[in-house]
Amino acid sequence: MPPLSSGQRGGEGRWQPSEVPWTHTNIPPTCVQPCCRPLCYEQSEHRLHKSSQMKMEEMSLSGLDNSKLEAIAQEIYADLVEDSCLGFCFEVHRAVKCGYFFLDDTDPESMKDFEIVDQPGLDIFGQVFNQWKSKECVCPNCSRSIAASRFAPHLEKCLGMGRNSSRIANRRIANSNNMNKSESDQEDNDDINDNDWSYGSEKKAKKRKSDKNPNSPRRSKSLKHKNGELSNSDPFKYNNSTGISYETLGPEELRSLLTTQCGVISEHTKKMCTRSLRCPQHTDEQRRAVRIYFLGPSAVLPEVESSLDNDSFDMTDSQALISRLQWDGSSDLSPSDSGSSKTSENQGWGLGTNSSESRKTKKKKSHLSLVGTASGLGSNKKKKPKPPAPPTPSIYDDIN
Amino acid sequence: MVVSKMNKDAQMRAAINQKLIETGERERLKELLRAKLIECGWKDQLKAHCKEVIKEKGLEHVTVDDLVAEITPKGRGKEYKLCERKCGLRHDLFSLLLVQVFFFFNKEKHSF
Repeated sequence: MPPLSSGQRGGEGRWQPSEVPWTHTNIPPTCVQPCCRPLCYEQSEHRLHKSSQMKMEEMSLSGLDNSKLEAIAQEIYADLVEDSCLGFCFEVHRAVKCGYFFLDDTDPESMKDFEIVDQPGLDIFGQVFNQWKSKECVCPNCSRSIAASRFAPHLEKCLGMGRNSSRIANRRIANSNNMNKSESDQEDNDDINDNDWSYGSEKKAKKRKSDKNPNSPRRSKSLKHKNGELSNSDPFKYNNSTGISYETLGPEELRSLLTTQCGVISEHTKKMCTRSLRCPQHTDEQRRAVRIYFLGPSAVLPEVESSLDNDSFDMTDSQALISRLQWDGSSDLSPSDSGSSKTSENQGWGLGTNSSESRKTKKKKSHLSLVGTASGLGSNKKKKPKPPAPPTPSIYDDIN
Repeated sequence: MVVSKMNKDAQMRAAINQKLIETGERERLKELLRAKLIECGWKDQLKAHCKEVIKEKGLEHVTVDDLVAEITPKGRGKEYKLCERKCGLRHDLFSLLLVQVFFFFNKEKHSF
């Protein structure tokens, strides 16, 4: 039997330490002792000679090589498997000797305790699914029996601890403060409310606004609107969200309102339009008519600040107009009869004033007439009033 | 001639083996084999067998030789073959090995 090559196992089944792999110089493995060198040299020479011969032979044996190679591969594979086995044996032996081999075993008693449960209605731990739903607990505070799933929130409120309950409590305090105190006590309110953050203070702010004195001088401020938006701050005056009922407004408020809003009274709802001064639904004529109606002949559209070319229109027209208009205590007009440029317009209106006073007793006509008047006014002119921009002076121009 | 042939075979085997070790392929193959064996449960089976052996022999007196003697044949016996088939060891590992062998052989053709 030729000497075993390195790494191979003997037939006895005992493992041998793998020896130093021999190099290409074909030194046989047994020759590791230095004293054997001369012998090895001879042998290696011999082998070299042989290998060159073998080369020639191998060329012709190429067909067999594959099977041989496979056989070799099989052997190497077997070696690998045996290595793994041995390795495993060593691990086990070490574990036994060090005492940790049996560590991952559990004793049979605990095995029984934690056995997987496979019964209907139970989960694998043996717990019932709906167990806590129907259970009732007794609250230690109020001694009521509460459902388990509602127990925690109930405790929160019952004991008065926890986020929600403190919030609610603060809100209640603030609300009661708001009811009791007037606005001048705002500072106190603020002090109390300083600890609170947005949640509660928003609500309080809203409530406070609605409690404002309707006659306070600050009132007009709240009437300022953005385009198209409505003010929510006065639920008393504003019935619907689309308009204002003008009957309840005072003169001051009316004036301020009309300086900022369209104000044209709608036929259907009898309410003033709350849109901007340039709202496309109504013409400027309508707006002016409304202002005149409310504020007297000297009223002008807020847009038109420049002096009007007040060549008054036809008297007949004005009288016809005025006869249909209704004046409601518009005595705070300036009925100057002098022929100043500014007042000549007033003159035209002044006539109306005079006549209006006599006609005060006339019964109020419907708003339809007013609107009709406005439109009629528009149609009476030779030129139609231009949309937005400054249309009113042009109308007067035409009349000139 | 038979001797020479055997010599040749042996030499070839030796050379290939050596080449495998040198390049580190053998180690890699070994790791792969170990992983596969754990995967298919071969190690657990062997461990169970080990426990039996240890219980037989007594914890204190077990020697390496005992273990080797008991376990190695089992490790390479029927269960192993089953495991082999289960995780396709033959396919993966063996074919890999075969390829390596061929490769080395072709490289080393001239030195033979």
